[in-house]
Amino acid sequence: MKVDVKKLIEIVGEENVRDNIADLYVYGSDASVHTKCPDVIVRPGSIKEVQKIMKFANANKIPVTPRGAGSGMSGQTVPLSGGIVLDMKKMNKIIQIRPEDVLCKVEPGVINDELNKALKSYGFFFPPTPSSGRICTIGGMIGTNASGNRSVKYGATRDAILGMKVVLANGDLVTLGSNTKVDSSGYQLAKLMVGSEGTLGVVVEATLQIAPLPKIRAMGIANFDTLEDAGNMISETIAKGITPSMLELMDNIAITAVNNAQGLNLPDVAAIVIFECNGMMKETVEYEIDQIKEICKNNNGAGIKVTDDEQEMKDIYSGRKKLFPSLSKYGEGLYTTALADDMAVPMSKIADTVQHIHSVAKKNGVVMSAYGHCGAGLIHTKILMDTSKKTQWQGAKNAVKEIYEYVHSIGGTTSGEHGIGFSKGPAFKLEKKDSLDMMRAIKKALDPNNILNPHKLMDSPDDWLTATPLRYQVTN
Amino acid sequence: MQAETQSKTKYLQQYEKQMNMCIRCAYCFEQCPVIKEIQWDTDGARGKVIMSYGLLTGDLKPSQYIADKVFRCTFCRDCLDKCPSKVDILKIIENARAELVKAGFASETHKYIINNIKSTGNIYGDTEVIYQNQQGTVPLFVGCQYLGRPNKTKKYIKILQKLGIKPLVHEEICCGFPMDVLGFKEDYEKHKQEFKKKFPHDEAIAFCPTCTVFLNEGHDISTKHVLQVILEKLPKANLNMKVTYHDPCDFSRGLKIIEEPRKILEKLGVEIVEMKNIKENSRCCGGGGGILMTDQELSNDIAKKRIREALDTGVDTLVTSCPTCETTLKKAAQDIAEKEGKTISVRNIEDIIWLGLKNAETS
Repeated sequence: MKVDVKKLIEIVGEENVRDNIADLYVYGSDASVHTKCPDVIVRPGSIKEVQKIMKFANANKIPVTPRGAGSGMSGQTVPLSGGIVLDMKKMNKIIQIRPEDVLCKVEPGVINDELNKALKSYGFFFPPTPSSGRICTIGGMIGTNASGNRSVKYGATRDAILGMKVVLANGDLVTLGSNTKVDSSGYQLAKLMVGSEGTLGVVVEATLQIAPLPKIRAMGIANFDTLEDAGNMISETIAKGITPSMLELMDNIAITAVNNAQGLNLPDVAAIVIFECNGMMKETVEYEIDQIKEICKNNNGAGIKVTDDEQEMKDIYSGRKKLFPSLSKYGEGLYTTALADDMAVPMSKIADTVQHIHSVAKKNGVVMSAYGHCGAGLIHTKILMDTSKKTQWQGAKNAVKEIYEYVHSIGGTTSGEHGIGFSKGPAFKLEKKDSLDMMRAIKKALDPNNILNPHKLMDSPDDWLTATPLRYQVTN
Repeated sequence: MQAETQSKTKYLQQYEKQMNMCIRCAYCFEQCPVIKEIQWDTDGARGKVIMSYGLLTGDLKPSQYIADKVFRCTFCRDCLDKCPSKVDILKIIENARAELVKAGFASETHKYIINNIKSTGNIYGDTEVIYQNQQGTVPLFVGCQYLGRPNKTKKYIKILQKLGIKPLVHEEICCGFPMDVLGFKEDYEKHKQEFKKKFPHDEAIAFCPTCTVFLNEGHDISTKHVLQVILEKLPKANLNMKVTYHDPCDFSRGLKIIEEPRKILEKLGVEIVEMKNIKENSRCCGGGGGILMTDQELSNDIAKKRIREALDTGVDTLVTSCPTCETTLKKAAQDIAEKEGKTISVRNIEDIIWLGLKNAETS
């Protein structure tokens, strides 16, 4: 595609435009398995610049893919149709912090952890806690409706969005939502933008609801000989009205990986559950922790340990934290790929889902570990495979299909927090077949030339495996 | 095609597994000093790993543009620290550099330094080095940085001797780190043989943090930094100073020498007012990885950030324990003083130890 780079330079300045093949190659990649180069990368520094870029792109029918840190796992920021990648990281100011209104206003390029550092001095934090918080941007979190290990208590980004400013495909600037926690003033368009993965507009400012930083925190850990017991413990905890701030599960493959790679001595059990409670008063936190302890015992939990000592809490969580590097070292020649990387299921079905994941993996000749924020029904998996073998990719493709078929059959959904992009496109389209036309109608209304991150979500290709080159060398 | 590409990328080939292990999560962005300044993905650690993969597969051809990016790294090790998959990012970058050098994209400045090492044994091209030869029992590797600072070298040797350590100092040649890190692998392999002849020891102490790391990792010589051996022997002093301390990257994230310099300063009666980012989270001075030679503006911008952190502590002296950090931070401090009127003095720890020993003698 020919893009008039000179026009873009006129808008943002030469230092904010790059089209060298090396830059295009880097920006054509994210944390997914895909790669596809754009034609140019542009870094806007202001709302006006974004508007001018969108006007230009719309007039010339040039696709535009907004991008934050590029840490998405489902190909959200891989520009399937080339065109412009809009690197939003330069728009990184914290505009306002208003503890009296329990909100803050930020540009989309603000990094989650940097926002929390600024909020800490006011005694507040931004509740969604993705593990990538140290590098992910608020814009990216809005794009995917990110949540994280505290989603069980605090929900996801959509729950924390009050309003936003968005530049539409035609360059118009609109203000959506409000500055208030409650809002019944018509369609909730700000909430619609969350999770739209850059397909409906470019978020240029966000009004976020913040939460008071809890003063007290305590953590616990329990081992379970069966996934069923672990799953029952999790769903019973939530069903009893307890609101832990974290409720994480690690399956046996995760445990084995961590033990082998890190030399930790986690017990060789079917599952480990890590739980955390937080709040403003020691008594309420202690009460909830004690309640959870009892539930663990009632469900055959063993090795139950609870603590409010900072170092001991760090030690308890270290296994979960070291999972990623451990999976990379699980087996010689097996690499961690972001496939079937997340899903959400009814909590009563967590154990069954994890068991199903294991059997699907075995059947298809790949290794899959299941872990995640199961207190919110969210399961993460990673497919560990030999990325050089065609048969492994076919096995992975079959595994992904079968897992999501199962997830849908039990009332679950394709993604809990990572989003759809196009890696999960086929599963998503199957799940939402009744409402695809509705989504397309909305997309058509807001982006008639289909320039905003095209071929994602409901318009994603039917086969993710062949939609783009893979970023790995597949040799046999 | 694959065999042909792989024969052309003999250095990066060894790191294909590492590059596949990279999940491209961008966690390495967190404190990468280069991306903090330049703010383009391509220039950060992840960008370099992706470009390296492109060079390996042949998707990218070596070019001056790519070379400029790949050489723009201070080797601060922060990416190694932050990578959740524990990818050996710096080895990938080092070997991408080797591919680019092989393809003819070494900078003239780097070639000049390497030629100096080859012809004279030091980075300066100095044919008349005066070695501070000592008949001792503990092999001491002085290193180029201190060879170029004879007064400091003499001082440091005297410090060791006052503390009962008898350094063995003789003619030496560069440890070869610049050759290795700048991608001159073939030259380094030859140099390694020469080095072994000039420095035929299995154990040593060294003045420079980078030399200390490299003697251990590149030459298999069990090497301690001098600060590790002098701490216990140092007498107490009462310098009554208040300083801040900058952890060199090779100390904080490389050798994990974090407490020793602090204990030394405390023993000498020096109060440390810590900066915001210290120890394993110390920020880079902008001097490593060869960047000082080819990207001085970037190096200086990185250093100035660190000086501003030091100024925020309110003390008038910043102490460090690395000659490269001392150089870059001094320059940055000077620039800030000239332009903004805010001053802080930058000193190396051996100066403080020297003052401390004099103070201890007189008390």
